Amino acid sequence: MDNLSYHLHPLVRGRNESFGLLFYNTRDTLLTFVRCGDLLRIGPAAGGISRLEVHCGSEAERGKVRRVLRGLAQKGLIVETGVSA
Amino acid sequence: MRQEFLHRAKLKAPVNVTWEVTARCNLHCRHCLSADIGGFSEAELGFDESKALLDALKRMEVFQVNFGGGEPFMREDFLDLLRYAHEQGVTTCISTNGTLLTDAIVEKLRNMDLLYLQVSLDGATANTNDAIRGPGTHGRILEAVKLLHRHCIPHVSINTVVTGANFREIGDLYDLGKRLGTKTRLSRFRPSGNGKKAWDELRLDSLQLAELSHFLSDHPDIVTGDSFFSITAFDRRELGLNMCGAARMTCSVLPDGSVYPCAFLHDGRFLAGNVRTESLQSIWDNAPVFELLRNTRVDACGSCWRFSICHGGCPAVAYFLTDALNRPDPECVASFRTVLQPAPTAGQAYQSP
Repeated sequence: MDNLSYHLHPLVRGRNESFGLLFYNTRDTLLTFVRCGDLLRIGPAAGGISRLEVHCGSEAERGKVRRVLRGLAQKGLIVETGVSA
Repeated sequence: MRQEFLHRAKLKAPVNVTWEVTARCNLHCRHCLSADIGGFSEAELGFDESKALLDALKRMEVFQVNFGGGEPFMREDFLDLLRYAHEQGVTTCISTNGTLLTDAIVEKLRNMDLLYLQVSLDGATANTNDAIRGPGTHGRILEAVKLLHRHCIPHVSINTVVTGANFREIGDLYDLGKRLGTKTRLSRFRPSGNGKKAWDELRLDSLQLAELSHFLSDHPDIVTGDSFFSITAFDRRELGLNMCGAARMTCSVLPDGSVYPCAFLHDGRFLAGNVRTESLQSIWDNAPVFELLRNTRVDACGSCWRFSICHGGCPAVAYFLTDALNRPDPECVASFRTVLQPAPTAGQAYQSP
């Protein structure tokens, strides 16, 4: 996770909420609620792409974010885009 | 889905908005929930006002708009509205009776990726359907579904409002959907609109509700639009929202722009505002009636073994049948379980007969 960046799948919408993130999959209209607080945020869309921003400090937080990202990627909601700068 | 926190959380905007874009309709269905909005046809939002509302939905990051009516295709500019919604990235779901669909219209729908279509059919047989939706409609509706299939429209479902009149045909409707390549969607009959007048005749009795609960458990591919959480069995609880979404996840806009907590609470007491005079965001954030819905707790259900999968059920049904929002849903399986079998112990799944 530390060196990878992620963005929302083009067919997925998402928004920041007080509890974390809310995803909507246009392929089936299903919702996914992610209770991650501010650890993950959806950044402003650029060129039609919305990137995920990771804000975590402790190892425990990193572990939690890793699990969340893995689950979201498995569901096809986010896409790994490579090594971040 | 662990949803307990949603009961307390306030989303910054609806997830979806149900928008009755017109009160005009070419059919006069006996159970129509929108029959009370007939007086709004003169004051319908115009095309520019409608575009402004879609712009607002985009700004609010609303994911989906459910177009209903009336019959949405009665609006001459409806295809343009659909196109504009999709340009804003908003997914659309149309509830239609199907009878106005033509080759030319469906060809245009074919190019719309963010489109879901629900075609209403209220019986597997013409006798049953036509008694509710009008003479000759069964054949016309099936032709519409076949037309959509021929044009390869991907997300089509047949939507049936389950009543005492068609209850014995639900299995046949499910098989019909399979044959026609559509999903089956079942909706709850509610005592709103024309449903108030037809309630005693068309409502399900407790044994039918229990049987329906069992049927839904056996058919997880049937979509219910969360309307049946009052009878949802434990094995379906991960398939949808397990509580009322009014003013929490959704709200409803009428043809004249007036806003209500949901499509089943179009009663003057629940008017939250109008998008002609106030932004939808402001209404969502500040309308007292929305706060009322968000804070409604069905205390009588708090200790019930089913509370985690229904949170008291549908407040609209409770309101129209008991005149109070915070009463238990009168059609909840918990209310008649003792008639059917001994109550299960905590954590045990309810088995209907």
